[in-house]
Amino acid sequence: MDKLILSKDNLPKFIDELIKKNTVFAPVNNNDIVIFSQIKKANEANFDFLNSQYPPKALIFNQTETIFKFKPGPKGDIEPIKIDEKKIIFGIRPCDAKSMAILDYAFSGEFKDPYFLTKRNTSVLIGLSCMQPGVNCFCTSFDDSPASSKYVDILLTDIGDKYYVEVISDKGKQIIKGENKFFKPAKESDEKSKKEAEKKAINTIKRTQKTEKIVEKLDKIFENKFWKEVADRCIGCGVCTYLCPTCHCFDIQDESTLTKGARIRVWDTCMNPEYTLQASGYNPRPARANRVKNRVYHKYNYYPKNYNVIACVGCGRCIDLCPVNIDIIDVVTRAGEVKP
Amino acid sequence: MVNEKELQDAVKKTVEKKDVKYVVGYEKGTYGFQAKPSFAYEPKDAEKFIFSPLCVHNLAVFPMLEEKPPLRKGEEPDTRKIGVVVKGCDSRAIVQIIQEKGLDRDKVVIIGIPCSGVVDPKKIEAKFPGQIKNVDVKDDGDKFAITIDGKTTKVAKDELMPDKCKTCQYPTPVLYDILIGKEIKSSKKEDYKAVKAFEKKSMKEKWEYWEKQFEKCIRCYACRNACPLCYCKECMVDQLDPQWVRRSVDVSENTAWNLLRAFHLAGRCIGCGQCERVCPMGIPLMELNKKLEKDILELYDYISGIDAEAKPLLAMFKPDDPEEFIL
Repeated sequence: MDKLILSKDNLPKFIDELIKKNTVFAPVNNNDIVIFSQIKKANEANFDFLNSQYPPKALIFNQTETIFKFKPGPKGDIEPIKIDEKKIIFGIRPCDAKSMAILDYAFSGEFKDPYFLTKRNTSVLIGLSCMQPGVNCFCTSFDDSPASSKYVDILLTDIGDKYYVEVISDKGKQIIKGENKFFKPAKESDEKSKKEAEKKAINTIKRTQKTEKIVEKLDKIFENKFWKEVADRCIGCGVCTYLCPTCHCFDIQDESTLTKGARIRVWDTCMNPEYTLQASGYNPRPARANRVKNRVYHKYNYYPKNYNVIACVGCGRCIDLCPVNIDIIDVVTRAGEVKP
Repeated sequence: MVNEKELQDAVKKTVEKKDVKYVVGYEKGTYGFQAKPSFAYEPKDAEKFIFSPLCVHNLAVFPMLEEKPPLRKGEEPDTRKIGVVVKGCDSRAIVQIIQEKGLDRDKVVIIGIPCSGVVDPKKIEAKFPGQIKNVDVKDDGDKFAITIDGKTTKVAKDELMPDKCKTCQYPTPVLYDILIGKEIKSSKKEDYKAVKAFEKKSMKEKWEYWEKQFEKCIRCYACRNACPLCYCKECMVDQLDPQWVRRSVDVSENTAWNLLRAFHLAGRCIGCGQCERVCPMGIPLMELNKKLEKDILELYDYISGIDAEAKPLLAMFKPDDPEEFIL
């Protein structure tokens, strides 16, 4: 791992250089909210943000993905899709970067997903440590840190008057190699500053989720009336799942006009009554209580059983924006206390 | 200010009755400025009920979200009443639904609370950031009294209220079975200032504005699900055959969805602002709703959700209805 220093003046110059050779996405303001969008100039980005309103997973696992195009008719002309060019995601938070690593399991199992994996493998994640975590941030509940370099290619940490830069992967090294005029080697004192900044950020995280033995505990309370109590207030919208950086369910549709068509896949949500509705009319998850429970079990029971990792990174988006205060920290912590 | 004891007693009495399934009200939320919908199935559940300016949700949505699973052999349908705690605006939703025959008047017990304005969660969170412990917010005349760690700050209501409360003409529920506290009269007026200003813009400016807004839409349908008047058995965006709106999320389909939503509520929207409150992408949906509300008031002199006996706007015809817009 290379440890470097980037001065604050050099940050926009570095980004502008990257833009010359790559497609760069960064947090951008759009009427009061911040979204990862493509930037053409460094000054379009806004790095003074808590986190993007919806997760940058959308750049790899697009909300709407064209799988192939076709011409309607008896011949069935199919036109394959060239999968997106490589992207640099600049300013991704460590929690969102971790979510990509969690999604890798789902998309690279027995059936490898070319759409996700191509974009994932060619993209470079340049992380930005989260120095002022929000009210509902709880990445530390999963032994992670708002300044973790584990899941990014390069991590920048604001240490006051400059950025401490950790170059983690070969992809990261390749990026720095071409732009080394902007960087200086870091001193030991800089590394110390990063650790201090990280500690300070960790200390601002006040909320914790208790996930000890949660897999076993959930196994015992599947039929418990606790789930009805949690779901009573759910209005069944897709906020929690669409804003979740690890949710990855999708639906496939053919959309066509008389002359052209495309098979697309779009994000789906287990909060939707149509989710798992079978052609026979039978739905194994007929009520909102079943569906709310599915969201929790998928993240805290099925995923850990399959891949040995909880599918939650603690970004807090679902808590911040749930219209009726269904709070995953509270739900999981209380689920752990329910008597089977 | 509402006497919470009086509210809890009324809820207890209501839910004690055999023909009431539950009462939905509010309880303390899990952090900061949150309150959350709460369900009392038994009298003791009422003890957690609260009412404060943090009670921003329109609970009239819950009777409409009732799930009716298929009955097993020999099983009787549950026809018990549902009790709902409502503010002035929320009560108008119930009136509108009754008008439309979406709900039987005798199937709801309406517990009304006169309300002189709630907070806008986004505004209060911005003014007092980083609150993890529950914050106590009280109504104090033309101010909100906000107590954080024992220290009370008073802030003018105008600064923290959503726009809908600034122009609210129905602070007291228009229909109720039980009223908690005293009636409040409003001298506020809706002058549609923002709508009129927007109307003056050119077509191009309007389009650019909304395109930028709809671009953000992720079609989570929180606007629809939080809306008590969006209670179609199958929403047209969920229909596959024919498919009115595509599942593709792009500015064209998003525009179709957002405009259809607004038009389906023409003459029905009661202005509770839930759609805008819950939108995770900050789309100002009330600007669309207000435009329609204004047009309908000007064209037909009609206000939705006031009189449960009246007919819905789109179910009426008067010989002198304006028709110059009909081609």
